[in-house]
Amino acid sequence: MKIFLTALSLISVIGLNAQQSEDLVPQEAASVFSINNINLLQKVSLDQLVQYEFMEEVQDELFDGSTSGKTIKDSGIDFDQKLNIFIGPADDYFVSGLTFGIANKDQLFEVFDDFEPIESKYAGVEFYSSYFNRIAIKGNVGILYRIIPSGNVVDDLTDSIWYAQGNGYRWDDYYYDDHYYEEEYELEGEFEFIEEMETEENTTTPIDEEDNLPEAGEDPTKKTYYELRDSVEMALQNGFMDAFCDNIFVKGNVLTKTSPKFKKQLNSESEGTFFIDNSKNLKSNNDFDFMKRRYPSFYYRMDELYTGNTMSGEIHINENSIEMELDTEYGEKLGSVYKEMTDSKFDKSVLKYIPEDNQSFFTYNVDLRKAYEEAFRVILPIFSESESRDLSTFGLTLELLDEFINKDALFDSYKGSMFGSFNGIQRVKTTKIIWDYDDETFDYIEKEVEAEEDMPVFVFGFSTDRHDIPEKIMKHLCKNMRQFHNMGEYYIVDNAVMNAAPLYIINKNGLFIYTNDEVLAKLYSDGYGKNAISKKQVKKGMKGGAVYARANLSKAIAELPKEIFNSRENEMIDVFRGKSGTLELSSSKSTKTGTSFNLSYQFEGEYDNSGTYILDLINSMYVISK
Amino acid sequence: MKYLRVLILALITLSVTGCIEIIDDLTLNMDGSGSFKYNINLSSSKVKINSILALDSLDGKRVPSIGEIKQKVSRLNEKLKSESGISNVSLTADYTNYVFKFSCDFASLAELQSAIKTIALSENGGNSIPELDHNWLIFSGSQLNRSVPEIAIKKTKEIKNSDRLMLKEGTYTSITRFETEIEKFDNDKAKLSANKKAIMLRTDPYSLTQNPSLLDNTIYLKKSE
Repeated sequence: MKIFLTALSLISVIGLNAQQSEDLVPQEAASVFSINNINLLQKVSLDQLVQYEFMEEVQDELFDGSTSGKTIKDSGIDFDQKLNIFIGPADDYFVSGLTFGIANKDQLFEVFDDFEPIESKYAGVEFYSSYFNRIAIKGNVGILYRIIPSGNVVDDLTDSIWYAQGNGYRWDDYYYDDHYYEEEYELEGEFEFIEEMETEENTTTPIDEEDNLPEAGEDPTKKTYYELRDSVEMALQNGFMDAFCDNIFVKGNVLTKTSPKFKKQLNSESEGTFFIDNSKNLKSNNDFDFMKRRYPSFYYRMDELYTGNTMSGEIHINENSIEMELDTEYGEKLGSVYKEMTDSKFDKSVLKYIPEDNQSFFTYNVDLRKAYEEAFRVILPIFSESESRDLSTFGLTLELLDEFINKDALFDSYKGSMFGSFNGIQRVKTTKIIWDYDDETFDYIEKEVEAEEDMPVFVFGFSTDRHDIPEKIMKHLCKNMRQFHNMGEYYIVDNAVMNAAPLYIINKNGLFIYTNDEVLAKLYSDGYGKNAISKKQVKKGMKGGAVYARANLSKAIAELPKEIFNSRENEMIDVFRGKSGTLELSSSKSTKTGTSFNLSYQFEGEYDNSGTYILDLINSMYVISK
Repeated sequence: MKYLRVLILALITLSVTGCIEIIDDLTLNMDGSGSFKYNINLSSSKVKINSILALDSLDGKRVPSIGEIKQKVSRLNEKLKSESGISNVSLTADYTNYVFKFSCDFASLAELQSAIKTIALSENGGNSIPELDHNWLIFSGSQLNRSVPEIAIKKTKEIKNSDRLMLKEGTYTSITRFETEIEKFDNDKAKLSANKKAIMLRTDPYSLTQNPSLLDNTIYLKKSE
């Protein structure tokens, strides 16, 4: 019995301490996308998986035939663990990659067949390398990562060495002389379409075609500027990789330790989760970096304002719906602005201008006046009290504008709330040129005739309490510009839509509306009446926060043009094409610390492979957060 | 709002069909000189063109701005003016209706074709184009052989199938005019003008991409008395 209890306690200790894939997510990660139930992915082929943008870091390795005909099931990945995709900026570099559980290491390296074992400085951790990508394996958990040094850091260090060596202005290098530019100019053609640039798998920056490579320097022992830059980049990369690994494998500084919010989210039982730390993304922004160097105290106050700004969400896949819940969190100062902004009553007058048979619509309800007052209270002191003369002058300018501007007139004219609807495709009147032939000689003359073209019909409008102000502007335009016409109940602007079709403006009933729908302007300038959407249909929007949108996917998605999306995006859209369903986005009222959003896709019928849904959603979040 | 704008433009791009009208108009004097006009009318698709021009990229390719198109048109104009045997070059562009008209006079058909080949080569970065190694206009004094340049056939083959279908609603009109009356012609689809000095062939650009020989014709002139 004693032996049994000892064994049991040992198993418990081992079990409790067993590392999970999320335990290797680095603290630098600003965005993490976790697929919790990766059993859903078993049917997804690896070839399909690597086409997602979030897999771009490993695409080069996987697009070499090693994935052909295999599914994720064959990849050696442990389906009892989460798959976590992360991206994140550190001060001096950018890191991206994924962490995963490993069930079969041999199978894993059949897929990652370009990776070779390399020496490890850390006990119990194996390392594998393929060009700039690394895989580290600790126990049954792996992390695949790539580190790219910041371009500014590489440039600064290269410049220091370059000039310290006694070299001249670096732009005198071959790449930057006029001759090189002329050559490139002619070669590419002045206005040819530019194909998407492909990156080489063995470099972090794209390299030119062989013909365009710089000529070797006269002295082969001396590096050109770009050779030096490559060396600096390589050296920095190695140094950053060491620091990155020290953090994870020596200091244990991983995201589960440094971010309680992330750790808490890992308890979710949803199919997928995402966590985005906006404050990290913001700090890595070049403008913020400039601010930090130039106005340090201003930077720290802005930093304080954005600290704690995160987005976290869950994706649930149900039998007839997919739900995405998103929670945004922020600090109280910024939160007070959001709270005031969304403390706004739903403007019911918009409903009568949204037809019941619309294909999609949105409403956005905010109170700009309240938001302005709160932002003025919170943000103005940051400028006024800044150590910089420029910034404090800007603060004074804001104060003076606040005193001099008639805020009642401004915010009553544009209150901030707006709506829009897409009402399908209709024929609209335009003109065209035809050539009229003379049968005697086949000579021809040009004639302008009326024509019709198909055009999507849209309606946009914003709430206003001061009709008289836009009315003044419209009357002035009608008097002075020949394309503006006052028709009494509405205005017409000739050729305003795509330089071909008229735009109609309706300024009444608490709204300023613009549309290309002639029928709405001529027959329904007071609203669609019984043909308008009912309050019942927008109940959720009326009770909720600032944002509400709904789309009838069977109609709207079918009309999305394939041409403007790339093949991967089209595949994502194709998931919804041909399916009947409703997409609905709603939000909660904002508090001082957060706002919640819900995106719901309700569909009819069965879906073939739920794994692709979750990958599509994760990929969408990844693309948006990049 | 940026995404909204892109979506609206995208919807327009999808929803309207492409419609193009082209006229190629050749006037030939008995001494082999003449004038050439090439007109492109896209006014039936101006909603679509405006929406495409408002996008940054389409089908993964960058969309040029009106300013860039104007510069390109102007550059072609200047290049043609410098070609030997070519005079009175005019290239007008109406960017409201998207109607483009080119015209020039030529001293001989050989010089006209040579100028077109030179421009095509220059636009191809100086790289050779084997399809240009032939003449598509041959005049003997009493007989004109017209065919479609092989380079045009090559270019039409590069058009994506989905885009080709959009050309079905357009028209391509080829007119050839002479000082003297036409005696007969080989292409039975051609139509003779009432004064018998001009001949017209009409098809749609889609059919032309499928069968470039639709516009081939040999025209025999009446011998002057």
